[in-house]
Amino acid sequence: MFKRITAIIHKEVIHILRDPRSLIIIFVMPIFMIILFGYAITFDVKNVQIGILDQDRSVLSRELVSNFSHSDYFSITAWPATRDDIITLINHRRVKAVIVIPPNFAENITRTKNSEVQVIVDGSNANTAIIVRNYTSMLINDFSFSMNTRNGLPVDISPRIYYNPELESTDYIVPGLVAVLMMMICAMLTSITIVREKETGSMEQILVSPIRSGEIILGKVIPYIFLGFLVACVVVGFGLVVFGVPFRGNALFLILFSFIYIYASLSLGVFISTQASTQQVALMLSLVGTLLPSVLLSGFVFPVFAMPPFLQVLSYLVPARYYLTIIRGIMLKGVGPSLLWQPVLLLFIFGTVLIIISMKRFQSKLEA
Amino acid sequence: MHAIKQIMIKEFRQIKRDRAMLAIIFVMPVVQLVILGYVISSEVKYIDTMIIDLDNSAMSRAIRQGVDQSVYFDLVQVSDRYRDGAPAIDRGEVKIALVLPHDMSQKISQGEKTRIQILVDGQDSNTSTIGLGYLNGLLIDYFKTISPAGVNPKALPLELTPVRIDTEMRNWYNPNLDYSDYMIPGIAAFLLTIVTSLLSAMGLVREREIGTLEQLSVTPIRKHQLLIGKIIPFAILGFIELTVALAFAKLWYDIPMRGNLGILAIFSMVYLITTLGIGLLVSASARTQQQALFMTWFFMVYALLMSGFIFPIENMPRFAQWISYLNPLRYFLVVIREIFIKDATVVHLYQQGIILLIFGVVIFTFATMKFQQRMS
Repeated sequence: MFKRITAIIHKEVIHILRDPRSLIIIFVMPIFMIILFGYAITFDVKNVQIGILDQDRSVLSRELVSNFSHSDYFSITAWPATRDDIITLINHRRVKAVIVIPPNFAENITRTKNSEVQVIVDGSNANTAIIVRNYTSMLINDFSFSMNTRNGLPVDISPRIYYNPELESTDYIVPGLVAVLMMMICAMLTSITIVREKETGSMEQILVSPIRSGEIILGKVIPYIFLGFLVACVVVGFGLVVFGVPFRGNALFLILFSFIYIYASLSLGVFISTQASTQQVALMLSLVGTLLPSVLLSGFVFPVFAMPPFLQVLSYLVPARYYLTIIRGIMLKGVGPSLLWQPVLLLFIFGTVLIIISMKRFQSKLEA
Repeated sequence: MHAIKQIMIKEFRQIKRDRAMLAIIFVMPVVQLVILGYVISSEVKYIDTMIIDLDNSAMSRAIRQGVDQSVYFDLVQVSDRYRDGAPAIDRGEVKIALVLPHDMSQKISQGEKTRIQILVDGQDSNTSTIGLGYLNGLLIDYFKTISPAGVNPKALPLELTPVRIDTEMRNWYNPNLDYSDYMIPGIAAFLLTIVTSLLSAMGLVREREIGTLEQLSVTPIRKHQLLIGKIIPFAILGFIELTVALAFAKLWYDIPMRGNLGILAIFSMVYLITTLGIGLLVSASARTQQQALFMTWFFMVYALLMSGFIFPIENMPRFAQWISYLNPLRYFLVVIREIFIKDATVVHLYQQGIILLIFGVVIFTFATMKFQQRMS
């Protein structure tokens, strides 16, 4: 049995090595992607351009304005003088929002302790608009809060931020990229291994040999486990060196669990390969079946808890979801197997179930 | 003309015969529209929250109730031991833990100051910043109603009343900041990009891999006829895809379509020159279908992430912004969004139109040259 599996492995390795162009693509592309997207994917709000119309020009209003000018979130780039100026500014996309402090802002505060600030947001980009809205109201809240503590509001609020005290989004995104890239590369690599043999007709030759179906599948998966692992090392290494993502946990556990994730991803590829009739279908299925789920439903950027319930249920079927918990847990939180055994187990089950189904399907096809 | 037509007929027959492929081509956009439309939102709600109530007073219960009722927080755990906080965050069960100190109500009723601690899981910087902001606001709102001496604030002398500043938000163009109004046209643009570039790339490489391209090249059909006959079906498919996506946007999401569909169709055609050109370029560079897929994948991820589709370009560092100028989807996205949301016409969009046309001509010419080179 071992001899037959090693023979298949040997054949598959020759296949891989004979195609250096693909090999280069497999190693170079993830590096490009991690560099590009490590920088590009960010929700960090910095220097959003805003305008301020201070109709009050009092000590208090200037204090509020200085809260905005000192904040890293905003940079004040325009001082409109009239309401018409605001319209021009927003229509020409020169600012994302304008903050209007009404004429009797300070007077109202001293007289009634209640005043109002108007924020006009360019809603045409709902994404930026929501972020801008959240941060402006946060700053305005902070302002009234600090006035109240001066006036004797009875509490101090002190946040203590775990794992990522600087609140850098790269620390969060880069491990996520590892999960997405690994999944896609592994699935796309293996998705054609079996269907290619079918399409080129060499499968019939293998079939007449004494090799069993399980042996073919194992022999085809094993070389890619190591290839996938090499890619993982390159990608994680880049994350650590280029982006300075912290590594707080135990590297051995990450290596071990990554093998299980690679196993699950490859199983998905093999599964697709036994289902598909042509290489084209297999490749499209593996692209569509991995890109969107692992980017959108795994919690890579969009938190799972904020999704509607039916998508949360669906997300349990996405292996990247489990690996994200694992890799972020180990790199950012520094936690170990006692907290991670569940996702690891689920990944293992996911991979094994798919491999068994693939073998069954493959077998029944052979006999037919 | 006749030769081109024959090739097109052959191509359509081939597409029609491949049921699995057809399903992928037409089911994929619907699934994507449904999932993307719901997932993509930076609105943060239902954050898993824990309250460590060491005080257990009327005041702390009122705060608990306030957190419980807020849509932003999901109060999943209440504890009376401080040491429960950090492990719950480690296990990922809660993102935020609010610690109410044991002497909170006592100190406040004596007119003293107390200190409230918030433990936050900082991994996801966006969620944590926003969650902290909401929680701060909620606490301020509550403590505003509590006067230093525990008296009803309305009976308080003015100098002791806490200051309140209301924020009035006005969102122009999209008053409710409806996400789908903004995202769905973007998804339609993205689908058009995928279908036309990926399918044309894979289709051509496939013929070369199987060897049928060689057979075609020895027939009297000219190279450019072959090229046109192979490309046009994919352009038509792309248009069908776009129509499906737009119909879905209208019927399922009820997206307002303020602009002119004719203008959109013209701009889409200009955009298609680029995406089909990219497909052609990939097919001329790749040796196997797998390579073609990896290359288009790279282009797609780049197009998706660096176009402002999900992540605002202005948040990116300078060099990433420069790289995004090379992304044709970036311009088409502006076109389709402005037509949908703002009823923009050619006057507003001519810049994007010119840039897209330049992209198209350059990429397509280059791709054709490379393709002809490969063929001979």
